[in-house]
Amino acid sequence: MLIKPSINMLVVENDIAILQRCRELILNEGHKVRTAESVGEALNIIQKQPGDVDIMLLSLELPGWGGMTLINILKKARSEILIVAMSTNCGEEAIEAMRAGAYDCIRKSFTADRFWTKMNRAIEAFRLRHQLDILSRQRQSALSKVRHGENLLAILQSFTDGLVVTDWQTHIVLFNTKAATLFGLTGKNASERPISECIASDELFSLFMRAINSDSSLASLMADEEPVIKIGERALRVHVYPVKNEGGTVIGAAGLFHDVSKISAMDKLRSDFFSMVSHELKSPLSSLLMQISVVLDGLAGELTDKQNDLLGKAKEKTKGMITLVNDILDYRRIEEGKSIQKIERLDLAEILQRTVELMRLSAEEKGIAIKCQIAEKLPSFSGDMSGIEAIFVNLISNAIKYTLKKGTVKVTLDKSGKDVQFKVVDNGIGIPPEDIDRVFEKFHRIKTEETRSIGGSGLGLSIVKGIADAHNGSVHVESKLGKGTTFIVSLPIEE
Amino acid sequence: MKKVLLVDDDVDFCEATKILLESKACEVILAHDGKEGLEKVRVEKPDLVILDVMMPEMNGYDVCVVLKADPELSKIPVILLTAVDQAIFRTTYTPHMGLMTEADDYIAKPVEPTELVSRVENVLNKD
Ligand SMILES: Nc1ncnc2c1ncn2[C@@H]1O[C@H](COP(=O)(O)OP(=O)(O)O)[C@@H](O)[C@H]1O
Ligand SMILES: [Mg+2]
Repeated sequence: MLIKPSINMLVVENDIAILQRCRELILNEGHKVRTAESVGEALNIIQKQPGDVDIMLLSLELPGWGGMTLINILKKARSEILIVAMSTNCGEEAIEAMRAGAYDCIRKSFTADRFWTKMNRAIEAFRLRHQLDILSRQRQSALSKVRHGENLLAILQSFTDGLVVTDWQTHIVLFNTKAATLFGLTGKNASERPISECIASDELFSLFMRAINSDSSLASLMADEEPVIKIGERALRVHVYPVKNEGGTVIGAAGLFHDVSKISAMDKLRSDFFSMVSHELKSPLSSLLMQISVVLDGLAGELTDKQNDLLGKAKEKTKGMITLVNDILDYRRIEEGKSIQKIERLDLAEILQRTVELMRLSAEEKGIAIKCQIAEKLPSFSGDMSGIEAIFVNLISNAIKYTLKKGTVKVTLDKSGKDVQFKVVDNGIGIPPEDIDRVFEKFHRIKTEETRSIGGSGLGLSIVKGIADAHNGSVHVESKLGKGTTFIVSLPIEE
Repeated sequence: MKKVLLVDDDVDFCEATKILLESKACEVILAHDGKEGLEKVRVEKPDLVILDVMMPEMNGYDVCVVLKADPELSKIPVILLTAVDQAIFRTTYTPHMGLMTEADDYIAKPVEPTELVSRVENVLNKD
């Protein structure tokens, strides 16, 4: 436990060529390496697999949230990770990075030799820190004293959840009856033995390591996380808390295990169902759409007016079903808190233009003109591409859908203070005042004589709101019945 | 005339899409699983490969990775086509098999035929 033989590295770099090169160099020396192309991805790795990153090689030239932000976060939350910066020139930015806590800086034009001179020094430094850390802990009192409180033990035994307590070296010092049955622990095989030898789960081990190695700021970071881990047939929801002595030093960790096997089986069923929907419905629908369109376009022979009319309606119905399936899947993602899949720098103007062009034809067929006004020089914005597309598509298609006579849909994209503002104005049927607060509710659709024949799932606006929220933005609506409606989405830009 | 290889296990989709692309003056060759697709790329040397992701034998990602790793074939543009949840496939692709191979475009199924045509023309006219 004193010396870590191989080092876990994380390379964070958006230039793929450099990323690959670092990866190969590191792998050749027998270390483990993971890669991330953005700060978001890096944080994901670091938060999911605690104790898994020893040394991080970080580009100072990442777009969006810069590398400096990451250094500052990690210095607070995971100070044990040693950071080596990378930049093209190793100039001002390198000095700033090292002042913030980076250990060293490597030029991106490195040779293999140069790379390893620097990295070996970093590895030595990491090992030294690691050992010092362990030695200082050894002086602290052992947690095993807890065992002597007989009353306490009786209480713990009566828990319906499993409980396992370890000292700072992850040796088990205490467990209750439920934990014994969950993991097959006995006094003989478990006492004073490392938890990794008694319960086979890397994930669990890393949770304990993380609790033990965390200072208070990380503990608060993990507070609302409730990972479910699989051990054998069972699914267990786990909380692992650091155990501290009077001085506030972490001397061990306590894990609580709640058996959620039944719930978890339901979740799996649900998620299987949705992937089934996704594939088994979307595949035939794509064939249908393609077949109908090809025939409608006359590519399979001339059509009579009547055939043309009927097939046109069939195509509309098919497209309606496609929208419905997409809405359901989008909505599920938001409910599961997964509306943001990947944060990347986006060209909002380009995405909007593309979306508008896609919808222009169907709008014009209805006698509706789309006017699109995009400010020049929009500030850079980072977000989830498919999410932003979904916002644009839903609001513009609503504006077209809920304008019955000839009309105009005005779409603008502009900067407003610290936000980018996306606005859709229509002069359609409007929303009754008593309904305006409810339009963002899922499945809420306004039922009037006018809207009766208009199809929809009632999910579009709740999707828009979910995605805007996930980007720390907001949606706002104003409407006059019979006059028209305005939707405004504000998305904060990065500093 | 540009030669397009469409690899998709859905025969109906292939048949209709073939008619569509042929109307845009493309020669269209079909394959119905990943392995067959890969063989046809080698034999036919198409100007573009359109790959469905979920296929038996060998999935579209894997075919794409193999193509892009082969110096003789890596120049052929690839469009990935999928009915899998779009947001998920954008992110699962990159780290796949630890390789950073990228397709030249991604299209979510179901796709509007006009959209498919314009994306295909885009990729074909790049060079
Ligand atoms: N631009 C608009 N003008 C008038 N009413 C609208 C507009 N956008 C949305 N609504 C109303 O809000 C309801 C919810 O919208 P949405 O969530 O997109 O569901 P859907 O369009 O599938 O019905 C719609 O059914 C409609 O009654
Ligand atoms: Mg809608």
